[in-house]
Amino acid sequence: MKRTSSSIFSNVSGIFAIVLMGFPVYWMVTTSFKPKGDILSTNPTIFPHSFSLSNYVEAITKEGFSKALMNSVIVVFFTVIISLFVALFASIAVARMKFKGKRIYVASILLVQMLPLSALLIPLYLLLSKLNLTDKLAGVVLTYIAFILPFVVWTLRGFLVNIPTELEEAALVDGCTKPQAYRLVLFPLMAPGLVATAIFAFIQAWNEFLLAYILLSSQDKATMPIWLAGFTNRFGTDWGPLMAASTLTAIPVVIFFSLIQDKIATGVTAGAVKG
Amino acid sequence: MNPRRFKPWPYLLIAPSLLALGLILGFPVYKLISLSFERYGLAEIIAGKGVFVGLDNFKETFTDPEFWKILERTLLFTLGMVSVSIIVGAWLAHLMVKMHPGIRNVLNGVLILVWAMPQLVSISVWRWLFSFDFSIVTALVNSLGFEMDNHNYFVNTLSGFLIIGGCVAWGALPFITISIYAALTQVPKDLIEAAEIDGANPRQVFRNIILPMLLPVYIILISLSTIWDFQVFSHIWIFLDSRPSAEYYTMAIYAFQKSFGLSEYGKGAAISLIMIFALIGVTGYYLRQMMRMGDE
Repeated sequence: MKRTSSSIFSNVSGIFAIVLMGFPVYWMVTTSFKPKGDILSTNPTIFPHSFSLSNYVEAITKEGFSKALMNSVIVVFFTVIISLFVALFASIAVARMKFKGKRIYVASILLVQMLPLSALLIPLYLLLSKLNLTDKLAGVVLTYIAFILPFVVWTLRGFLVNIPTELEEAALVDGCTKPQAYRLVLFPLMAPGLVATAIFAFIQAWNEFLLAYILLSSQDKATMPIWLAGFTNRFGTDWGPLMAASTLTAIPVVIFFSLIQDKIATGVTAGAVKG
Repeated sequence: MNPRRFKPWPYLLIAPSLLALGLILGFPVYKLISLSFERYGLAEIIAGKGVFVGLDNFKETFTDPEFWKILERTLLFTLGMVSVSIIVGAWLAHLMVKMHPGIRNVLNGVLILVWAMPQLVSISVWRWLFSFDFSIVTALVNSLGFEMDNHNYFVNTLSGFLIIGGCVAWGALPFITISIYAALTQVPKDLIEAAEIDGANPRQVFRNIILPMLLPVYIILISLSTIWDFQVFSHIWIFLDSRPSAEYYTMAIYAFQKSFGLSEYGKGAAISLIMIFALIGVTGYYLRQMMRMGDE
């Protein structure tokens, strides 16, 4: 008796949460497919009754779309490749080797994650302008790498720790050198973790707004989030095209994210419950 | 194999990451500290170096009544968002265990969808929900019999902060809920069964088995949420059309305005530094916990 009443309560709360949490996303997608007249109405209807792609056409043909898409792809590509490469080396050292100063290294990696990004904007801006890297994609990539790196090192370390060392030791006994043991035994086992971490880095770089907003000033350097912020001007906001553009920006993240979310969630908690 | 022989490998492996972190994070931190002791305005930018003024920036900041108001507002805002998102997230996660699998899967899917929303997308959607013209929320309120046409929700700072905080909490809730739920499912079943056989009631099971096992997860989530919510910038900035009025200043916006708006980089740096110390104080426990894990 008690069991059923508590599960009814859970189910009702669950449905309530689904509606409440899902509504903004639902409203974004349905608005994006509404014709202008339906959007600019004082009596909006929850369920759309007509369908139009005009917002998408307007968003895609809006000035700067293809450029922003291109810039975002460039920034994301270099950020992911470089940070993964650098972090892979570091995570092997942290997870598999004993060395003096490891504690300090780990502490600084974690401390850096706690640095509020907005507090570092001032010196970062001044530093990059001295290096002549403001308003250049390279400057943005450089800062993204540094900000993503600690998380990537920490996550890869998590995946590595879960691979038993006995496997490499067996390879060493069988006559492999240490680099061979890593290449032939460790890396293949790590592949899923590497992919998950790469996707995570991709999402971070794709979504980042603040640094790009400060560092990039000219319009043809804008990344996707900056382009999105540009829908509001002194005359107001074009809600239909903005919702279409938002949907387009979210789609790649949703696809990639749904592939890795279980790994990220357990990654955060696994070590904690065990430790 | 002599264990005392110096092994260069680990150092070579961490060198590239140290280089990147040192250049892009280490140096700016140093620069932030030195800037906070300098007068650094437009004249100093052109000259390429600041003028040392000792503790003046800190003195002026701490004697500015505006600063204390902003600090209080930031702390309240952070506390509100962290407690709401942690409590609701925990509550939802515990309910998810008892939900019908179908409902649970749909909820999980919705949470992941929300989790995946880029920050700028979620801000844009929430601005649309509460927009000045033709917003769905205004229409819903109107349909309840109120007359709210063309209501600007941001004239009143309380409703403005509630909406901004709602948007932040909406974005943070999926991570919190799913993390707690994942941790809950990792609590060994036999442990709970053993306790039940020994006569423990549900409350005792929760207090003596589930809670202690989840405590580290809660600590991590609370610390991370505090770090994230304390420095919320983009939400406030974009909700208020890139020119928030003084009643909407939080620490992050304040430091930004001081430096990029008024070109008083030294003072902005001092405020940023105060922010960092406030955060380290609040989340020191998290750091120690994580360091213990790094040692294993």
